[in-house]
Amino acid sequence: MRSASLLALTALVLTRQLTAQDFLLRLDTRLQSVAYRGVRLDSVLATTVVAGPNGGLETADGFAVSCAPGSIHCEFYRPGLQRHGGPMVTGADMTAWGFGVRGLSLHANGRLNIDLGNADVWPGTNPALQLFEGYVEYANAWLTGRAGRQTERGRLGYTGFDGGMVTLRNADHGVGGSVYAGFGLARGTALPVTSPALNPLDEFQPRQRELVAGGEVWWQTEALETRLEYQREVDRETRNFVSERAALSATLRPARGWQLNAGSEYDIARGEFGTSDAELRYSRARWSAAGGVRRYQPYFDLWTIWGVFSPVGYTAVQASGRVSPSRWLDLHAEGERYWYSPSAADVPLQQSEDAGWRWSSGAGVTPAAGWYLGLNYRAEFGPGASSVGWDASASWRPTRSLSLRAEGGHLSRPLEFRFTTSRLSWFGGQADLQAGDRLRFSAGAIQYIEDRDRPDAAAFSWNQTRLTAGISWLLGSGADHLPLPPAIRRGGAR
Amino acid sequence: MIPRALRLIALLLVVAVGLLPAQSSSDRFDHSTHRKLFPLCQSCHPGAAAPTQALWPNPTGCASCHDGKIEKSVTWQPPAPRPTLLRFTHAEHGRALRAGSAADSSLACASCHAAEGAPWMQVSRGELPRCLSCHGVRVAHLEAPDTACATCHRSLPEAPGLTRERVAAFPAPASHKIPGFGSGGHGQLARPAAADTHHPGVATSCATCHAREFCSQCHVNAPETPTIQALASDPRSLAIKATLKAPQSHADMRFQARHGGQSRARNATCATCHTQESCISCHRSNPAVVAALPRASVSRGIGAVIHREKPETHGADFAERHGPLARATAATCSGCHARSECLECHRPNPGTANGYHQAGFLSRHPSAAYNRQADCSECHNPAAFCTTCHAQSGLTSSGGLLQGNYHEVGGTFLLSHGAAARRGLESCVTCHTERDCLTCHSAQTRRFNPHGPGFDAARLRRKNPQTCAACHGRTIPGGN
Repeated sequence: MRSASLLALTALVLTRQLTAQDFLLRLDTRLQSVAYRGVRLDSVLATTVVAGPNGGLETADGFAVSCAPGSIHCEFYRPGLQRHGGPMVTGADMTAWGFGVRGLSLHANGRLNIDLGNADVWPGTNPALQLFEGYVEYANAWLTGRAGRQTERGRLGYTGFDGGMVTLRNADHGVGGSVYAGFGLARGTALPVTSPALNPLDEFQPRQRELVAGGEVWWQTEALETRLEYQREVDRETRNFVSERAALSATLRPARGWQLNAGSEYDIARGEFGTSDAELRYSRARWSAAGGVRRYQPYFDLWTIWGVFSPVGYTAVQASGRVSPSRWLDLHAEGERYWYSPSAADVPLQQSEDAGWRWSSGAGVTPAAGWYLGLNYRAEFGPGASSVGWDASASWRPTRSLSLRAEGGHLSRPLEFRFTTSRLSWFGGQADLQAGDRLRFSAGAIQYIEDRDRPDAAAFSWNQTRLTAGISWLLGSGADHLPLPPAIRRGGAR
Repeated sequence: MIPRALRLIALLLVVAVGLLPAQSSSDRFDHSTHRKLFPLCQSCHPGAAAPTQALWPNPTGCASCHDGKIEKSVTWQPPAPRPTLLRFTHAEHGRALRAGSAADSSLACASCHAAEGAPWMQVSRGELPRCLSCHGVRVAHLEAPDTACATCHRSLPEAPGLTRERVAAFPAPASHKIPGFGSGGHGQLARPAAADTHHPGVATSCATCHAREFCSQCHVNAPETPTIQALASDPRSLAIKATLKAPQSHADMRFQARHGGQSRARNATCATCHTQESCISCHRSNPAVVAALPRASVSRGIGAVIHREKPETHGADFAERHGPLARATAATCSGCHARSECLECHRPNPGTANGYHQAGFLSRHPSAAYNRQADCSECHNPAAFCTTCHAQSGLTSSGGLLQGNYHEVGGTFLLSHGAAARRGLESCVTCHTERDCLTCHSAQTRRFNPHGPGFDAARLRRKNPQTCAACHGRTIPGGN
């Protein structure tokens, strides 16, 4: 964390020192009020439970209980306290260039998280200062070098690390490759795996950050793009592998409108294929259709024991289509059917689903300039979970700088592996105002109404109102195209 | 009694007439009316043959008849000299007339000012077909060859008296209407003929009506183009508006995907219309090909204005399905997308209510997560995001499946949890710790074997024996 703070401070100081240089900085502040209520495990003496109106056992105040055979206590879940949070996040995304060396630039992307609520209840706000990227980059036509905190993106996921990366490319032949190495960050976050924030349950946790190293090569032509990646992570303390994986991805454009995307991962450490997929898509101006197959395989780092439980994946076939019969109407539909691999853990007396499906369909209508109406329906059914629902929205843009949106929806779902059904309805609205090229405001409110259809006293509601607000402010020297999103180094700059 | 309305109309008419601007008081001379009075042109236009004398007659001569008694009085005045693009002068033709045979009727006034066979004094300012015929041009005026233009015309900068309005009204030759003229044909025509010495470097036909500024409206590489630089500078040439149209190649649906390779192969062609700013309108990174294009400046303009459009692949549902494409075509994506853009979604902002997920997703997330509609852990760290929230909601286990009995399926979940866990282990670990499972699935506790078919123990032991030791202690089966 100290290194992240140091990088952020360095970036801030450099930004102030180099006011005569070219820079672009976007400050983005978002705030929302949230609330949720969970459950609280409780127990009563088995002798105090009574038979409820549905025949089940309940506490005297009406909560359904679970009584283990022979136990003197019965357990049940009471509604938990309603917890309120107000996460306010200020993000800074900065690029500076013009240090006297053409192609040299400085990039920083971080967030300051503050919870205005009565507790740190909303995930992602701890720790308060998080640096996602902060690196110095040198780039010319054939070379890119990067040093600092950065994120490598590819089929193997988003790998954050503090280290260096070198890319060589030959644009004329469409080939290139890169290698990188550094101290890794945990998956899906800007924190190292040793961070206390990643150990809410006092779980097993590595004591040192792992070393991450990898590379990729790619070949790009007009009709074909392909990319081969390799990555390994090593525990610095034990020299054991945390992961070792490779992946191949390709996109083929054989003819006008046709596109084939395919890719596969291979877990070298476990000796098995990971998630793989292939999709064939045909796109025209007014319609498109796609079909494909997908193999999903769960993945866990080797510093956890989860992988030894032999998690199984599923194989899916999917199809989607979109058509715009007229300029004001757009229709779409998507569907997927999937089958889990045998778990080898089924028991004869307990039937469980081993396949599922999901599909959705919708329409978008543009009845007049500045207006858009959308309606979508979604249903899914699978092992342990299902839901069905719809949502609708209406957007209006009365001026170029102002847009208004109203939305609502409804869904119902069973509480997975439990006996009740939850129904959720919501409605709300949002407004966005572009106050000039550099300033943008947004505000919104949405009301959630949830009913948990339990036959006992735990059928509490989960209603809440969420308020949101945001300000986005763009700062920078004059040498840039303001309509573009921020933090872009302008081509040809000195 | 005159109706009030009529009186009002009459008053308005009087006022309107009074407000009208004064009409020209100069009467136009009608040659044919006077045909019997003047046997010779030079009687009134002595300057046509003698350069030292006036081309137009003295108005006092008119008054000898038009004195208001013999004939009505007139107020004729000789016209002001009219700026022209013509190189023609009466003096030059007069010298030729004097030098040649007096009988050479081709040099007589009527040869130019009267149509073939027209009666005496039925004249006009100039009969163009007769000019062309005399000078040996056998095609229509605007189709005359390059070598012929300079016979009669000066270039635009050599005619300073012409107004922008008259420049704007120049007739366009037929060649300008031929398909393909704008996209490249005019470049061929602009090359000078070998015999044309009037405007070295550029065809005289172009230089007659156009100057450097006109070309610069479209050609952002005008400063580097010799043909354009061969033209003189004249801002009046901007009075003729040029419309930049995309060439046919840009209409190809694949153009957006393929223009990168094409621009590398034909960079000079792109530089005709495009500056670096054209590319940067979409490409936020710095493709090498950009550096080969000129930068926009006051002297060359910004060139073709590019409107940023989504590629064909970026449909309305692209956010949900962009993963496979982005993984294979990262280099292409980075042409338009900055790295930090990805993090806006892939590192969720706690202060944002809805981003990638729509409203209400919090309630739907168990079903979406359990069967992995998308790979949640690509954006959410399970411990920091999922477990933190579950723990605060009371959704954590404190003693494995033997306590709490959260999963109420007739009390039999303990028996069937194996299949559920193997299918949805990523969801299980958002509430359960490793220790929960080790209470049973460990060689040092109840010894329930967690390994499924195909479990490669030897490989795992080689890669990370510590994982094995978590359950097996120091006695890893098959280990040393």
